[in-house]
This record gives sequence, C-alpha cells and structure tokens, in this order.
Amino acid sequence: MNPQAVAQSVVFGLFVGGNYGVAAAGLSLVFGVLRVLNVAHGELLMLGGYVSFWLFTLAGVDPFVSVLISAPVLLLVGFALHRGLFVYVERLEEETRIKNSLLVSFGLGLVLQNLAQWAWTADERSVNTTYAGGSAMVFGLVFPYTRLASLAIGCLAIVCLDQVLRRTYLGKAIRATAEDWRAAALAGIDIRRTYLLTFGIGAALAGVAGSLVSIGSTVAPTLGAAWTLKALVVIVLAGMGSIFGAFIAGLLLGAAEAISTLFFGSTYREVVGLVLFLVVLLIRPQGLFGRGPR
Amino acid sequence: MLTVQGLAADYGDVRAVWDVSLEVDAGEIVALIGPNGAGKTTLMHCIAGLHRPSAGSIDFDGVALHTLAPHQIVERGLVLVPEGRHIFASMRVLENLEIGAYSARARRARHATLRWVYEIFPLLKERRDQVAGTLSGGQQQMLAIGRALMGLPKILLLDEPSLGLAPLIVRDIFAVLRSINAQGLTVVLVEQNARQALHLANRAFILEQGRVVGQGSGAALLADVSVQRAYLGLAVEAG
Amino acid sequence: MKSFGRGGWRLLAVIVGVGGLAAVPLVVARADILNLLFLVFLYVTLSESWNILGGFAGQVNLGHAAFFGIGALVTRGLWLQGWPFELTFAAGGLTALLFAMLIGVPTFRLRGTYFAIGTLGLAEVLRITTANALPGVSSLTTEYVAHYDLAARYELGLALAAACVLTAWLLLRSRAGLGVLAVREDEQAAQATGVGALPHKLVALALSSLFAGLAGGAFAFYHISYYPELPFTSSWTFDSVLPVYLGGIGTLWGPVLGAAVYILVREELAVSLVQVHQIIFGALFVVVVLALPGGLVDAWHRLGARRRAITRISPP
Repeated sequence: MNPQAVAQSVVFGLFVGGNYGVAAAGLSLVFGVLRVLNVAHGELLMLGGYVSFWLFTLAGVDPFVSVLISAPVLLLVGFALHRGLFVYVERLEEETRIKNSLLVSFGLGLVLQNLAQWAWTADERSVNTTYAGGSAMVFGLVFPYTRLASLAIGCLAIVCLDQVLRRTYLGKAIRATAEDWRAAALAGIDIRRTYLLTFGIGAALAGVAGSLVSIGSTVAPTLGAAWTLKALVVIVLAGMGSIFGAFIAGLLLGAAEAISTLFFGSTYREVVGLVLFLVVLLIRPQGLFGRGPR
Repeated sequence: MLTVQGLAADYGDVRAVWDVSLEVDAGEIVALIGPNGAGKTTLMHCIAGLHRPSAGSIDFDGVALHTLAPHQIVERGLVLVPEGRHIFASMRVLENLEIGAYSARARRARHATLRWVYEIFPLLKERRDQVAGTLSGGQQQMLAIGRALMGLPKILLLDEPSLGLAPLIVRDIFAVLRSINAQGLTVVLVEQNARQALHLANRAFILEQGRVVGQGSGAALLADVSVQRAYLGLAVEAG
Repeated sequence: MKSFGRGGWRLLAVIVGVGGLAAVPLVVARADILNLLFLVFLYVTLSESWNILGGFAGQVNLGHAAFFGIGALVTRGLWLQGWPFELTFAAGGLTALLFAMLIGVPTFRLRGTYFAIGTLGLAEVLRITTANALPGVSSLTTEYVAHYDLAARYELGLALAAACVLTAWLLLRSRAGLGVLAVREDEQAAQATGVGALPHKLVALALSSLFAGLAGGAFAFYHISYYPELPFTSSWTFDSVLPVYLGGIGTLWGPVLGAAVYILVREELAVSLVQVHQIIFGALFVVVVLALPGGLVDAWHRLGARRRAITRISPP
C-alpha cells in the first residue's frame, strides 16, 4: 500500500467529512440550545438535496448557487416544523422532552421520507454539471474542483455560523439560552423566539449540507436515515455543543472511513463510525472537544 | 409601584406560597426576610415570570405581570438578579453585560448604561475580557447585578445577593444598592442575612412557610425582640 | 374451595384465548387468515418486547429493528446452511442479545440520548452493511417451498407472542421488575435507594432484544424470499413502537391491543392506499405521542371517567 494511495484516500475522505461536519453542526446547535434531538435532521438534509436537484434539472441553476436558495427554503421549513410540532415538545421538562423529541422526530422522519418517495419516487438523483471533470494536482494528489468548492462552502457556512454566534446579539442570545435558559429569560431574551430561530438555522445548515451532497453524490428519499446517523456519530465524537469541533470531527470521520475502505473494502465502511462511537463513549464520553458530560 | 395580591404558587402538589400580599412604593428599598423554604425564591420567580402562580395577581405600574413572559417583564422595567447569580460562565464579562441589555428599550441606551455600570463597578471594566466563570463569588455577584442594571430597570429585585460571600464584600454590595437607590431605582431584596437587609431597607416583610407573618419599617423590625430572637440571632452566628 | 377471584377469571380467559388461537389451524385452512394472524403475533412480540424496555424501563430504543434484523440474519443464514431450525432460532435471539449488550453497556452509564443514538446507529449500520454484503435476495429452495408448513409457522408465532407477554407479566411481578419500574420513574432516586440503575436497565434490554431477535428468527422461518437488509429498516422499529403508544405504553396488554388494531387497520388501508398509509400512521404516531401519552386505552378510561362524572353531577 503506497503512501500516495493512502494520502489520496484521505483527501477524498476529508471532502466527504466536510459534509458530515456541516450536517452535524446544525444538529449540534439545535440540541445544545433546545435540548431536542431531531433524528429527522437527515430528512431535512435530503430535502435540501432535492431543492438543489430540482433547481438544476428544471431551471438549470448551478448547484453551488442553489445553496443560496436551499438554505432559506430549509430555514422556512424549520420554522414551520418548529411552530407546528416541536413547540409542543419544548413545553415538557428536560427528561421527558429528550425522550419525546426522539420519538416525535423519528415519526417525522418517516413521514418526510415517505412524502419524498411519494412525490419524487425512490430513484436516485444526481446533479451532473458540465464542469464536473476538472481537478487540480498538488503534490501528485488529485483535488477535483467541485469537491474543493464544496469543502470551501462547507467551511464558509461553519465560519458564518461561528461569527453569528460570537458577534451578533442573536448569537449571544442563542449561546446564553443554551447555557442557562432561565438566566437568559431574566436578562430579557425571548426564549420562544430564540428556540424558533435556532431550529430554523439548524434546518438551514442541513439544507446547505444536502445541496453539497447532491453535487458530490446521489440524492434519494432514503438518504435521510444514513445522514442522520453520520451527524449523530459526529456530534458524539466531537462532544455536544461544539460547532467547530463538529466540523473537525466530521473531517476525522470522513478520513477514518476512507482509510478503512482502503484496507478493508467498502462493504464494512459504515461500521467504522459505529466503532468510533462506542470507543469514544467508553474512553471519553464528553467527546473530543466537549466541555464535560452533559 | 409593585403590588402583589393574594398570591399562591405550587410545585406540582406542593404549595410553596399561600396568599401573599405586599406592596412596594417607588423609590423604596424593601426587604423580604425569613427562613429557608419560606417561599421567598418562589415568590421572586412568580414576579419575574419564571413561574406561573396558581392564584392571585401581580401588578406593576398598572400592568398585570402574572400573564407575561419573563422577557416582556424585563421590557417593562422589572429585573431580577436570581439566587446563585447565574452568570453565563462560558462568556466574557463584557458579553454578560451586553446580554443584560437585550431588550429593545435597554439596547438603545446600552452604551450610556455600560458607562454607568462601569462607574458603579470599576472592577467589571478592568476585567471586561475575562471569562466570567473564572471570577470570584463576589465578582460574579457584581457582574450579575451589573448585568441586571444593563436592562435599565425601574425596579431591581435581588434574591439572596449575600449568599456565600464574605462580609466585607456583602457590605460593598449593599453600599452599591444604597447608592443606586439614591439615584431613583426601587430595590426589593430577599435575604437570609436579615440584619444587614433590615439596616438597608426602608420597609420589610417577614415570610414564613409561604405566608407574610409580619411587616414594618426596617428600624422597627430590627428593634423588635421576637424578630431579633427568630432571625437576628441566626444572622449573628452566620456572619 | 378457595374463591376464584377476578385474577382467576382473567387467567382462565387468557388460557382459553391462547388455546383457542392455537386450535385455529385445525379448523381453518385459509392461508390468508393464518398469514394475517401470524403477522399479528409477530407484531405483538415486537411491540411487547419494545415495551419492556421503553415502557417498563423508560429507555427509548430507536433501533429495535437492529435486534429483529440480527435475529433474522443469523437464523436465516445458519438455517439455509443446513443447521437445525431450533438451534438457529435460539442462535438468532442470543446474537441479538449480545449486540444489545454491546450497545447497552457503554451507553447506559450515560444519558438516555446516547443509547437511542447507539441503537439507531446499530440498525442503520447493519442495514447498509447487510445490503452491501448480501445484495441478492435470500430464497428458500423450491423443493422446500413445496412442503411449506404454514401451520407450524403460525404456532411458532403464537408461542413466541404468548411467551413474550408472559415474560413481561412475570417481570412486572418480580423484584427485578420493581427495580426496573423504579429506574423508569426516577433514576437518581432509585440509585440513591440502592436500586442499581445499570443492571436493571440491562435486564430490560436483554429481555427486549432477545424477543426481538427471536421474532426475527420467526420472520426468517416464515418468509420464502426477501432482501436480507429488509428486517433492518426503520419501519420495523416504527411498527414496534406505534402499537405500544396506541395501546398504552407501560401497560401489559396495551401493546397486544395496539398491535392487533394496527395490523388489522393497516391491512385494510394497504389494499387501497399503499404508500400513503405510512404517512398517515407516521402522523398519527406523532399526534399520539404528544397528545395521548397513555394511549388509546388510557384515553378511553379517561373518557369513561368523565362521562361517569357528568352523569353524577347532572340532576336525576
């Protein structure tokens, strides 16, 4: 096994991992603030992927541009889902809230998956742009342009999120609510509205990830379940509540899967994530970047 | 200014507050003293909107508070500094203060308010980039009060500000409360440290087991023998 | 003679019921009825087993399909290799139990979300990996199909469902069961009074996964051909959980009632609506979880109580 092949494999793994990171960041944000674990997050990602696919197929919109559309569309979908559904889960106190959010989002995920299948059939869809072939060569390694651009957009999304959280009043409100919602309420923060906006942002990030997935890979109604799993594994690896950590953990997962595929073939690729998940829980339950058991 | 009438509050099947009525006039310092478990914190939570009362009413400058959400109450000028400080430990001092000015009314005036808060607590200005969780207890209490002041309150409620603090620090904090009251801010103080609270306050109410069992001016209660035996004896031992 | 009491009549009713069901294949030859009842038995087992962990121990398992699938995979695999079915059936259940412990031990020490993520992950990972490793259809040989004994499968399904409900009943009456329920109510309080949370959760998990795995084995025995990844799909988890909430989570007979109602209604709808029925049931599930935590049984009781209260108040 020559080092070149390994390095190339890792490079591709990082590209995939970037998407894992963006998918996980949205889920981590929502869980950290609302204490609601939305296992239908993958289905939101799937919807983002379809937005990009249909914009490209019907209107010729470049998939990288469609990211700018799928994000706001999923933002609105997130608002609707929150107002129509998750707001009832929030009324419960924490233990019941987490359990019920799991069940409710599980049901929601199934509904969304079946709606997608009913509307668009189970066929796998992909976006094939004319410029799909080109790539850059650095140190003898291939860096396809589309993959580079996807990773760049993913990074950009994460950086934007971080800036919003750190510099804007909304971001401060989100962080304060995540840390101590009672104190935040007493400081004058509208908790209900903060929850709504956070959920929307989480959905928007899923949408961005979905669009990026449609570029590199195929989109189908069953996409959601696999991506929810990835996002969950990543946030456990990273530790709940860390946005940049989620992105890095995503990259790590992508790289680990790529290396495993190189040595053990692609059949057992998914097992890597599960093994890492169990190992992290046994050795360091708060995750690589987590602040402590939450 | 603030009127509480016949308030009752429950936690599930347990009633923590039974039929409490009290009034606070503008410009006063009012103390609420009483033993642990008297329902003082529950009462504060009801007034601030964190807990829904089961009966009774809370009226602030003509507005009924008991149906409002906490942030709406802050917008109207009533701010609570909760028991245990509850500063945002992972955020810096300045960010904590900025969050205090979240409501629309306070945000507009935040630059001026921040200058004022820095005058009152110079130490917050010195340490404005420090992570709040690394501050000492007394510093955190000042930050909590500073954050509350950023909300431009007309009335400031404090729940056990002296808890866990050294007597010198407590004295400083109470001096600050006296001085901001002199600037026109109404103060309601819940305290186990009855002696200092009664010295500071114009009037006080005594709460026991969820009911008001006594009231009077600060001086009168300090002089009252039964109060001395019940609450001030304990205070002497503790602080 | 000692008074028979309500409990006695109930027990008699159950025995007669089960006996009656067992006798059905002797009387009825129609395959569609036997198939339908087999499905009911399978779902009763899946639901009651989920209920043992979710209802009694209060641990949400979003990957019940993982245990079902493992049981099916192991049973089918070994059985088609020539092993005697009884052995493969047991092996399926035990392998499922083993995997359950693999997830349960690291995650039960931590908050509930980790267990849910772990089981969800296990189910999905196994589904994808099975689809990768065994993409082709698994079929019984035509000569075997010629001698296919539906009655045997029917009886197996009935026995399994009865055993599962019996186990749940025994658990509720046992000391271990008390501990399990205590953990559900308040884990910290239970821990403080010496009821170890971890062993009790693991007991509930063991029973839950064992029966789910055996159900998988029954599934593998029953179906002539299917894609090996099918038992791992999340719709099986959904089909285990919805009946529990319909019937009443945490009760003994709730899952049984819920499973029966669910299957009968679903088979009716499936004739007319195909895909849409999963959407409808999914939405129904969400509504039931949020609005009727006690399930239909509880709602019925409460409705009855209200009616009785009203008739008491209104004038004669």
